[in-house]
Amino acid sequence: MSKLQQIREAKAKIESLIAHRPQIGLILGSGLGDLADEIEEATVISYQDIPHFPVSTVEGHAGQLVIGKLEGKTVVAMRGRFHFYEGYTQQEVVFPVYVMKELGVQLLIATNAAGGMNKNFKPGDLMLIEDHINMTGSNPLIGPNEEELGLRFPDMSTAYTPELIAFSKRMAEELGLAVQQGVYVGVSGPTYLTPAELIMMRELGGDAIGMSTVPEVIAARHAGLKILGISCITDIAIGEELEPLTHEQVVEVANRTKPQFKKWMKAIVRGVTLA
Amino acid sequence: MHISRAQIREAADMIQKQSSIQPRIGLILGSGLGVLAEEIQDPVTIPYGQIPHFPISTVEGHAGQLVIGTLENQPVVVMQGRFHLYEGHELASVTFPIRVMKELGVDTILVTNAAGGVNESFEPGDLMIIRDHINLMFRNPLIGPNDPELGPRFPDMSQAYDAELRQLAHRVAEEQGIKVQEGVYAGVLGPSYETPAEIRMIRKVGGDAVGMSTVPEVIVARHAGIRVLGISCISNMAAGILPQPLSHEEVMETAERVKEKFIGLVRGILRQL
Repeated sequence: MSKLQQIREAKAKIESLIAHRPQIGLILGSGLGDLADEIEEATVISYQDIPHFPVSTVEGHAGQLVIGKLEGKTVVAMRGRFHFYEGYTQQEVVFPVYVMKELGVQLLIATNAAGGMNKNFKPGDLMLIEDHINMTGSNPLIGPNEEELGLRFPDMSTAYTPELIAFSKRMAEELGLAVQQGVYVGVSGPTYLTPAELIMMRELGGDAIGMSTVPEVIAARHAGLKILGISCITDIAIGEELEPLTHEQVVEVANRTKPQFKKWMKAIVRGVTLA
Repeated sequence: MHISRAQIREAADMIQKQSSIQPRIGLILGSGLGVLAEEIQDPVTIPYGQIPHFPISTVEGHAGQLVIGTLENQPVVVMQGRFHLYEGHELASVTFPIRVMKELGVDTILVTNAAGGVNESFEPGDLMIIRDHINLMFRNPLIGPNDPELGPRFPDMSQAYDAELRQLAHRVAEEQGIKVQEGVYAGVLGPSYETPAEIRMIRKVGGDAVGMSTVPEVIVARHAGIRVLGISCISNMAAGILPQPLSHEEVMETAERVKEKFIGLVRGILRQL
């Protein structure tokens, strides 16, 4: 079965259960999943009930698609995402992105928890992703290309839609929210990085670092979606002063930042103009 | 797939049955440069599909056949169409042809490619002699058991791109009145083009050009004790340098435009090898 056929099968199943075509796709990172609770007239579908969808395993990630209305737009949210470090291939990790596109989504908003390498960042900061560096050691597009899904060699010059970055910044300003902007470095994990590795990643131009998002963004670009990426800076990842870190601490900061983050996201979803 | 000497031998045997020429020089022709193979005299053409254990090429612009014959009085074997990791091939497949070339008697390989210009003094259409490479593919074709008959466990890479061959290339370019660049080739996985942030990173770590090939082939060539000359056609400026998106069409257009200059240089080099 071709990738396209798998995508269509998943899409058909979802479509049979929902009333309206979603315009915006939301991938909700660690600890940020409960934005999905605010979706109204929601249809909730477990990943295991969707043909060809992988199943999520990380603590803090539920494993459901939530489709419904948020701030006047129809959205499809992933409550729980897949990561390369769980042992999925990057092709599996990005499968939902293509399904979202097939369902009618035009904009993908990907959020994540990330370590802050930029010395100006603090835990609890929200960072607009301007660009990324793929240090995962892989690429979700490796393999034969199906032309119906996208080009063999997608351009990545403006993967994170510049107009959306500007728009999101304006929305933050209107809310009196100070936000950061920077380059996200994607690594495989699952180990957090060593101090020496963090210094290297910062030297290479990274402002924040995490174990997700890069594959999904490459796929979204391939598929022709607009993209907005936001990192919640959950810890300080500065090699020279590194302290031990646990997943619990990451989730704790993400939870603390949630109210601001949700307000901002809702303003963005409400205000964004889509065809 | 683990390559065995038996598989290499099978492929070489089949090829040697088709052509009595004992090639000394191997040419790997990158995007859009495949047409040089048409200038080979008394050519014997073998589609990859017919050669035992050879993979099949899938990228637009790559034909998919081996051509053996004479070019500038040199016995050559040419890959018209190469294999890339981004196509989904395993490393052993991508580099298998190099093993077979060695078995056929090749002692020198000229590898060409299309690459994005990272060094801002480069222009699309420039030819760059590869001085060295940076492996950013997170892959190494030698991972796995080592067969000492094929090469050493820990190959030296301090002079992977032969200094004398580079000097020769410069000399020939000068004789032909062609300006050539020289620099470091950064090999990445692809197939998506790099982001501007990735290009800044590559520039910072010393890369002058970036592409999705060559590095695995060169590693295996050096393992096998083959001398290497590499030439990149700078087909476009890498992301973030000019305010325009990248496309495969632009890569092909530039390669087309530069073809004659490139072929002339390669032929001039072959003449003096």
